[in-house]
Amino acid sequence: MVIIAMVTGFILILMGLYGALTNTNILRMIVSFSVANTGVNIVLVSVGYMHGRTAPILDNAVPLAEASTRIIDPVPQALVLTAIVIGLGITTLMLAYAYKLYETKGTLDISKFSELKW
Amino acid sequence: MVNALFIIIIGLGTAFLLGLLGNTRRNIAYVFMLFALTAMAWIAHSWLWIFTIDAHSRVDMFTAGTAPPFAINLRVGIVETVLVLLVIMSGLLSAVYMKDALLRLGYKSMSVLLVFVMALCGIILTRDVFNLFVFFELAVIATAGLLLLSDDKRALAAGFKYLIISQLVSMFLLLGIIFAYHATGTLNIDGMAEQSPEMLKGIGSLAFFFMFMAILTEAKPFPANGWALDIYESAHPGFSAMFSAGMAGAASVYAVDKLLLIGGQEWLPVVTVIGLLSFVAANLLALVQTNDRRTLGYSSIGQVGLILAVMGQQDILGEHYLFIAGGILLSHAVAKAGLYWISGLIQKRQLTDWSVLRGQPLLIFAFVSFIGMLSGLPPFPSFYAKWDLVMMLASVDRLWILGFILLGSLLEASYLFRWFGYILKRDIIKEDAQHLSLASYKLIVIFIAVVIAWGLAYLWGELSSYNNLLLAIPILFALSFLLLDFLPTWIKNTLAIAGMVAYFFIAYPSYNPLELIYAIIFLLGGAVILLASYYEKGRRVGFYPSAMLMFAGLTLLVMAENSFQFFAAWEFLTIGSYFLILRGKYSEPHALLYLIFSLAGAYLILSGFALAAQGMIPFSLESLSQVAQPIAPWVFLLLAIGFMTKTAVIGLHIWLPGAHAEAETDVSPMVSGILLKAGLFGLMILLMNMGKQQLYGVELTYIMLWLGALSAFLGNLMAVFQEDAKRLLAYSSIGQMGYALFGLALMNQLGWLMALMFVINHYIYKSMLFLSVGGVAKRTGTRQMYQMGGLIAMMPLSFIAVLIGIIAVSGVPPLSGFGGRWIFYNAIMASEYRLPMMLIFISGPIAFLYLFRLIHTIFLGQLKDEHRKIKEAPFWIILPQMIYVTALLAFAVVPGMALHRVDNYLNPFFAGQGLNWDGWTITSNYGYWSPVPIMIVIAVIFATLFMWLLFVNRKAQKVKQFNIVYSAERPYRPETTHFAWNFFAPYRKAMGFLIQPFVTRFWETFADLLHTLADIVRRFYTGNGQTYAVQLLAFIIVIYLFKVGY
Amino acid sequence: MIKRFIVLLFLLALGLIFTQLLVEYIPDSELNLTAHYYAEHTAQDIGASNIVTAIIVTYRGLDTLGEVTVLFLTAAIVGLLLSKGNYKGKSLQRQLPQSGELLTTGSHLLVPLILLLGAYVFINGHLTPGGGFQGGAIIASAILLILLTDPLRKFSHTLIATIEATSGLLFLFIGVLGMIYAGGFLDNRLLPVGELGTLFSAGAIPFIYSLIGLKVGAEFSSMLVNLSETEGS
Repeated sequence: MVIIAMVTGFILILMGLYGALTNTNILRMIVSFSVANTGVNIVLVSVGYMHGRTAPILDNAVPLAEASTRIIDPVPQALVLTAIVIGLGITTLMLAYAYKLYETKGTLDISKFSELKW
Repeated sequence: MVNALFIIIIGLGTAFLLGLLGNTRRNIAYVFMLFALTAMAWIAHSWLWIFTIDAHSRVDMFTAGTAPPFAINLRVGIVETVLVLLVIMSGLLSAVYMKDALLRLGYKSMSVLLVFVMALCGIILTRDVFNLFVFFELAVIATAGLLLLSDDKRALAAGFKYLIISQLVSMFLLLGIIFAYHATGTLNIDGMAEQSPEMLKGIGSLAFFFMFMAILTEAKPFPANGWALDIYESAHPGFSAMFSAGMAGAASVYAVDKLLLIGGQEWLPVVTVIGLLSFVAANLLALVQTNDRRTLGYSSIGQVGLILAVMGQQDILGEHYLFIAGGILLSHAVAKAGLYWISGLIQKRQLTDWSVLRGQPLLIFAFVSFIGMLSGLPPFPSFYAKWDLVMMLASVDRLWILGFILLGSLLEASYLFRWFGYILKRDIIKEDAQHLSLASYKLIVIFIAVVIAWGLAYLWGELSSYNNLLLAIPILFALSFLLLDFLPTWIKNTLAIAGMVAYFFIAYPSYNPLELIYAIIFLLGGAVILLASYYEKGRRVGFYPSAMLMFAGLTLLVMAENSFQFFAAWEFLTIGSYFLILRGKYSEPHALLYLIFSLAGAYLILSGFALAAQGMIPFSLESLSQVAQPIAPWVFLLLAIGFMTKTAVIGLHIWLPGAHAEAETDVSPMVSGILLKAGLFGLMILLMNMGKQQLYGVELTYIMLWLGALSAFLGNLMAVFQEDAKRLLAYSSIGQMGYALFGLALMNQLGWLMALMFVINHYIYKSMLFLSVGGVAKRTGTRQMYQMGGLIAMMPLSFIAVLIGIIAVSGVPPLSGFGGRWIFYNAIMASEYRLPMMLIFISGPIAFLYLFRLIHTIFLGQLKDEHRKIKEAPFWIILPQMIYVTALLAFAVVPGMALHRVDNYLNPFFAGQGLNWDGWTITSNYGYWSPVPIMIVIAVIFATLFMWLLFVNRKAQKVKQFNIVYSAERPYRPETTHFAWNFFAPYRKAMGFLIQPFVTRFWETFADLLHTLADIVRRFYTGNGQTYAVQLLAFIIVIYLFKVGY
Repeated sequence: MIKRFIVLLFLLALGLIFTQLLVEYIPDSELNLTAHYYAEHTAQDIGASNIVTAIIVTYRGLDTLGEVTVLFLTAAIVGLLLSKGNYKGKSLQRQLPQSGELLTTGSHLLVPLILLLGAYVFINGHLTPGGGFQGGAIIASAILLILLTDPLRKFSHTLIATIEATSGLLFLFIGVLGMIYAGGFLDNRLLPVGELGTLFSAGAIPFIYSLIGLKVGAEFSSMLVNLSETEGS
């Protein structure tokens, strides 16, 4: 189960990167990075997963005393939330940048934005 | 002590608060922001006092009322304090600097700036690896926002490239963090460090690798750093200052350092290699840059690389680690921020456009302080740091690291000082100069950086295990001229002369006879030449600080007891003389060449000392004699080449002719007559302590002997074919130094006496000749000898000086030059080196050829029409010449006065082959020399011949000057018709092949190759953000293959 | 083509590194040190049923503050970016099609409900798998819905900015109160921990999470509004 999730995550990362590094269209790059980010997030949560345990919420299903043997690791879940939000922030920013870049040059081809070089 | 969280709270709180003010009240928002930054700075500042008292203590600050590793904690120690202060100060000053842009964009940009500063502080303070990630992302996003402050449209593309890279970075960082958490069960950096040995096995090592590469990328390692360069080039200079000083210099570097706690020993070599590669490569690529901000970007990357390399050495640096890394880091941060701030004053972006600064002495001083700081020159912290670093590296035999560091430093100094040359020498376009925006708040920011720079210089001097260079009296004296620069020349000149003479008499008792000779030449000799400077009118801005710095260096050199003092003095005199030489009208390329050769030589000396010391601190100069085999010959070699660079031995001489010839009238004698002796002084110290050394069975002094002979021969030969009088004198110096080197390398007492004789003689007659020729050049407006002629009637005193001078140089009786020769022949007799001796013998007559030209072409022959109304050289230029004439005559009569004591002093070093000083007569094994009778004999012969000449010429008929006609044709080049042009053409035909500029061509090719290489490599940065991302990926994989793959 | 090949090659190498990770990865069978501590202590120390919430709001509250700041920053920068260019005349260059009756009516119906759901989610963050970020995002989706119905609708930037600023400041303020009245910055125990599983439990967490919810909602709304205002230029 964990392995399947992790493999999925890694494959998404690789796919996303392939897309981001080969597509010259800026919007496609952004989408590809989102895919890769999703992959990273899947890997993140899958690390915390433990077979046969339940979500780290103490309620009737998980009595307080048995908490440490019944719940999965809560830390990766907390981290992934932060990671998602940050990823979202960067994606938004890239989109706004893309809009602005398009406005200056009328193109979304990343290779056209290379006056700064050498 | 104030909780570190308040830095974050104030930063964030104000950022949120600005939203309430809105854009209608952006002025108030701006004040709020400055206020918040000041408060943050004050907090960090308040820690500073606590940690200066106890540098080893640390305070942990918890959040959420829970102890780590279960909640995030911040840590404050001396390092964090300094770095946080650095970050906030750079933010505060840049915020002031960017006032216009911030107000234009409104409160949101101010919020972003606050968050940026806050995030950098967070990176430095946090001990939690995921928290580190969050703060890094904040910094990245804030960077993307602050790029909008730029007027440059291209900044947008740069920001996008950075976002692409940061996507990759955050991906690797997150993967690394989660697997590191899996491997160790904690997110706390210290917790991970505790488990480092187990963690670095298996999956944890990969996790660490990912984290490490991600954080390292933020430190912009070569070659995965194209995006950073684009940011540096296009961002608002105020932001670039923060980005370079705060983000790259402080935060990223410290984050890497934290991760190294986990990586431990195993990862130090990786940091070293990447750091060194970045340092050397960035500085190499900077050589071919023309854009100022991009150049600074390259330099920034280089400096951070150097800090990384130092971090990789922390296993051997021990308690010096902070001193060294801190010295380099703070120097980089202050200087780079300062330079970026200056760049904001200038409208155009080419390096040569900085010439608009020329009318601004204070800004030039700021610029010089900053580039000196970057190049690791004394008295700045980077100098102390580099010295300690080199010493430590040499003591544990990490020589290749040492070599790369010095190579990178040399490259960096080359382009920085080339830039300085542009400022002083390149044309100013009128309308550009008007566009120099000298808003007072920007200037204040820049000068605060200057004050901090010098404050740090003082602080590092206090912290170092040596004397504080800023407290050395000669240096203080030189620096005080910076403050006095508003005074007229004659006051400063008087002060300078008085100071030098007074210092000589104060220090007089402490000199041994050998030092005394040098001290006389450096201090009193310098004072005599300075008499000529009275001629200059006005304020002569910049001359006195430079000249006094050189003399201060020379003074300290003589007094140096240990290698550190010696080297610091050496650097001082190098910088001072560079500034002096650069003052010449056309001296820009020559001064640069001089500086590069000098610094290269200085680095060799540094390595030599480091190798010799083997960690011994302080390393007294006498200890050179105790250096053990097998390193002794290598030490000898390094030091000797270093010193011979200064004496312009053949092969390393190409800097000399231009530098000496193009310098100002009174500077030429200083750098020729005085400065060259510093090299000889070094050689004497070296030879006296180390004696003869053999490397692979070759006697090193024997090689020096040959080099001396070749220099004498070729130097003289090259002088023969010069048309330019000052160049002729310059080449002649190469020859003269060759003699002296030869004498020293003979390694017998007579050889040394001869060398000393040359030291004194060369000072006198070369100073005198440069002054006379300089005076003539001043009057005639040319240095081409064939354009002069017949000046004897117009400038009789100059003529006398030249006449006496060339008699002295050529070594014919009765003047002291002959004394030199006489000792010299004795010395040769006492040794058995016949072959180089032949060369030396031949050089004598060759010298006569070019000396003859000085008299013949300048003073004799036909007076040129345009020179009919010419006057004698100015009084103040003549005066020292007359003093020299007297001195030459006196020295010829009583050479014993100077040499006798030295001879005695040298006795213990060379078992009793000295001269016998008996009254007026000096006796050697091979004969005797009695100056006074010789003088009388010569005088009688001269008088007789002169009388006879007058007698036979009594009926001579005067011919009108223009009683000649050129037949028919108009010559293609007018000077070809002049008989004094290409005077020695037949000799050139016979021996010209010997003086083909092989050496010049060699060095030119070398420089070309470097530039071509740099130009090819930099094309790697295609400017395409996607390519940068691929490069980053490749970089990570390559490191993986090298490090983890095995 | 060559570029694709090179990229593939590097990604292949990266894939191999990932494979190595996978092969060597052994899932934990026991909670590790940190997780174990949280499982044991959260209930009595923090009083939140949802351990993840306890971690996010309290134990790793500084991260969350940073996270909120990321959104704040992004919103500010998007605002800067998109307001920077002067749009050539605010007038629309193309006619937008009418949003249908269905959408318009539906949004009137749904927006209040969505807002309510959002508030519910962030107020109950310490009890259920929800929280400020989720709640904030839900609130912003209401704004999105409004914008979809009427793309030209103007929102008050000042209002959004005020909510943004005030909730952020209050968040910080509660954090500082934690330093004064409890164990440290963002310590939730400045209010009584209460009984596990009830709404008014877990000390300051519900308040903090509500503020986060408001702030996140405001940030997202600000980004959406800014992006929507580029429409038609």
